[in-house]
Amino acid sequence: MSAFSPAGLLALSGALLSIGLFGILTRRNFILLLISIEIAINAAVLNFVYFAAFAGATGGLTGQAIAVVVIGLAATEVAVGLAIVLALNRLRGSINVAEAATLKF
Amino acid sequence: MILEELAFLAIAVVAVVTALLALLTRELVHTIIWIALFFVDLSALYFLLQAPFLGVLQLGVYAGAVTILLLFGVMVTRKRIFSREAATGIGPGPIVLAGLTLTFLALGSEELPQNGVVVHAYDPTLLSQTLFNADGPWLLLLGLVMLSALAGAIYLVREGRE
Amino acid sequence: MDPLAYAPEFVVLAAALLVFLADVLGVRRLEAFGGIATGASAVAFALVLADLGTPVLSGLSTLPAGVLDAPLGPGITSFTSLGLVFQAIFLLAAFFVSLASLSRPSAEAGSAVFFGLLLLATLGMLLVALSADLIFLLLAIELASISTYLMVGYSRKEARHLEAAMKFYIIGALSTALSFFGASLLFGAYGGTSFYGLGPAATPIGYPTLALVGYALLIAGLGFKVTAVPFHAWAVDVYDGAPTDVSAFLAGGTKKMGIFAFFLVFLAPLLILGHTPALGPRGFASALQLTLGIAAVLTMTVGNLLALLQKEMKRLLAYSSISQAGYMLIGVAVASGPAVAGATFQVLAHVFMKTGAFLVVAAVASLGVGPLIEDWRGLGPRRPYLSLSFALMLLSLAGVPLTIGFVSKFVLFSSAVQAKGPFVWLAVAGLLNSALSVFYYARILKTIYLDPPAPTDAPAAVPAPAAGIGWGRGAAILLITVGIVALGIYPGPVLSGIQAAASQFVFVGG
Repeated sequence: MSAFSPAGLLALSGALLSIGLFGILTRRNFILLLISIEIAINAAVLNFVYFAAFAGATGGLTGQAIAVVVIGLAATEVAVGLAIVLALNRLRGSINVAEAATLKF
Repeated sequence: MILEELAFLAIAVVAVVTALLALLTRELVHTIIWIALFFVDLSALYFLLQAPFLGVLQLGVYAGAVTILLLFGVMVTRKRIFSREAATGIGPGPIVLAGLTLTFLALGSEELPQNGVVVHAYDPTLLSQTLFNADGPWLLLLGLVMLSALAGAIYLVREGRE
Repeated sequence: MDPLAYAPEFVVLAAALLVFLADVLGVRRLEAFGGIATGASAVAFALVLADLGTPVLSGLSTLPAGVLDAPLGPGITSFTSLGLVFQAIFLLAAFFVSLASLSRPSAEAGSAVFFGLLLLATLGMLLVALSADLIFLLLAIELASISTYLMVGYSRKEARHLEAAMKFYIIGALSTALSFFGASLLFGAYGGTSFYGLGPAATPIGYPTLALVGYALLIAGLGFKVTAVPFHAWAVDVYDGAPTDVSAFLAGGTKKMGIFAFFLVFLAPLLILGHTPALGPRGFASALQLTLGIAAVLTMTVGNLLALLQKEMKRLLAYSSISQAGYMLIGVAVASGPAVAGATFQVLAHVFMKTGAFLVVAAVASLGVGPLIEDWRGLGPRRPYLSLSFALMLLSLAGVPLTIGFVSKFVLFSSAVQAKGPFVWLAVAGLLNSALSVFYYARILKTIYLDPPAPTDAPAAVPAPAAGIGWGRGAAILLITVGIVALGIYPGPVLSGIQAAASQFVFVGG
C-alpha cells in the first residue's frame, strides 16, 4: 500500500505523450517513428495502470486487464511495422536506382 | 510515504530523459539502448504502483521482445529507411494536440484528489480471472489481431514464390 | 447466449481460416480464394439481413431500447439494429471488392493472403458494429486496420505500394496511440469503458475536464480513421499509392467503421448531457457538438477545394472521399435520430458510389489508360457501358436527383434543418459544398464524353479488345450501378428501415 498524487502521474503521462508526438513530427527515420509511437502508447498504458489503482477494487483489475491487452497490441504493431519496412528494405536494397529516386530528403 | 514520492520523482525524471534521449541521439544503436532503459524504468513504476504482473509483462514484452525487434530492424535496414512521405502526411495537428492535452491535463489534475491516493495491491490470480472471464472478449480479439498480423507479416518478409 | 447470434462473424472468420489453410495445403488458384471470400461475404450479408428482418434477438425488456442482446460478456458486445445495418453495409463493401478482385491477374503471388486479410478486415468491421465497450471497439478497429496496412503492401514487389503501406501504418499507429490515450482518460473519468456505462448509467462525470480531453483525443484518433480534416492528409497518398482494389475497400469499407465508432463514442454523451444538464456541466455537450460541427464543415470544404485542383483520377476521388466524410460527420454533430439515419444512408450511398468509382478506375487502368484525368479523354464512345456506370457514380456523388447520392444528401441536410439553431448552418455548408463539387465531377464527365481522344491514341496503340476488364470486376460494377439507380428511384423500404434503426439507437441515450 502506498500513496501518490494524481497530478504527478498525469503530468508524466502527458509529457510522454507529448514526447511521442514530437518525435512523430520531427523524426524521419522509420525506426525512430516506431519508437515515438511506442512512447505514446506507453503513456496510455501508464494511465490505465494508474487509474486502475484509482478506480477502486473491481475497476482496478479491469484497468490492469486493459493494460495487458494494450501491451500485447503494441507489440503486434511493432512486428507489423518491421515486416513492412523489411519488405521495403529488400526491394530498395536490390534496386539502388529506385532508392535514389524515392529518397529525396 | 516520502520514500515512495521520491522514488516516483526519480522514475519520472528518468522516463522523460531517456525518452527524449532516445529520439534525439544521432546513433540509432544508442537510441535502442535509451529506449530499453525507458521500458525498464516504466516497469519499475508499475511495481511501485502495485501492479507486479504488468511490471513483469513490461520487462518481458517491451524491454525484451520489442527492444530486440527494434535492434534487429536497425541492424538490417541501417539508415536506409527514411520516411519523408510519412512525415508530410501528418501536418501540424499533433503539436497543437500535444499543447492542448498538456494544458487540459494540468487543469484536469486539479479536479482529482490532491492529497494522494492510496494504491492497493492486487492478487495476480484475480487479474487472470478477470482477463479470461469477464474481460475475455478483449483477449479473444487480441488473438485475432495477432492472427492477421502474423499471416500478413510472414507473407511480406518471406522470399517471394512466384 | 444464442450461438447463432454470431453466425455472420463465424462465417467470415471460418472463411478467412479456410483461405489460409488452403494456401498452406498448396492451393494456388486465385478463383478458389476469391470464391470463398465472395461467397462468405454474401452468406454473411444474408444472415445479417435475416437478423434484421426477424426479431430473433431477445432481451428488449431488460436492456435499454435498441440494445437487443449482450451474450458475449455483459457490457462488451451488444446487438443494436443500427449496428446490424452497418454490418450489412460493411459486408456489401467486402462483397463488391472481393467479387471485383476475382479479376486480378491470376498468376499473382499472395492472392490467398489478399483475400484472407480482406476477410479478417471485414471481421474487424463486423465486430466494430457489435461493440458496446470502448476497448473492444478500439481492438476491433485495430483488427481491421492491421489487416488493411498489410493489404496495401501485399504486392511486395512494388515500392510504391509498400511506401503507401508504410505511411498508412505510421498514421494508423499514431491514431491507435491517441485513441488509447483518450480511452485511458475516459476510463479514469468514468471508472469504466462500457458505452452504456458511460452514458445512461446516469452517474455524473467525476472529472469533466479529464473526460473532455479524453473525448478530444478520441476525436483525433478516430478522425484519422474517417479522414476528418486536420487529420486527412495521409488518405490521399495512401489511396493513391495502394493497389486500386484496396483503395476501393479502404474508401468504401474501413473508413465507414470510423463513422460508426463516432456514433458509439459520441452519441451517448451528447444525448445524455445535452438533455439532462444535471448529469454534467451544461457546456460539455455543446463544446463537443461545436467541435464535431466545425470538423464536419472543415472536412467537406477542404476536401472539395483540394479536389478541384487534382489532375490525377485516384487523387481526385480520394479528396472527394474526404469531403463525403464531412457530410457524414454532420450526422454525428447533430446527434438526432433523423440525422443519424441520414448519415447512415449517406454511408450506404458512399459504399456504392466510391467503391464503384475506384473499381472503375481499376478496370480502366487494366485497359491501359494512364492515371491522369486527361488520359480518360474520349473514353465515352470507346467504352460506353463502363463510362455510363462511372458517369452515374459521379452524378450520384454530386447529388443529382434520381441517384442514391441525392436521397442521402436530402435526408441528411433536412435533418440538420429540422434540428434548428446553429445546425441549420451545417445544412447550408453542405449544400454550398455540393454545388462546389459539381464543378469537378462535371469536368471529368466533359473529359470522358466531349473531349476528343488524345492524338497519340492511334488505333494501333489501343490494346486489343480481348484485354477486357474481367468478368468479376464487370459484375461488381454492374451491381453497383444498378444499386445506385434503384435506390435512387425507390429508396423507400431501405430508408425507412434505417430510420427505424437509427431512432431506436439514439433512444439508447435518451
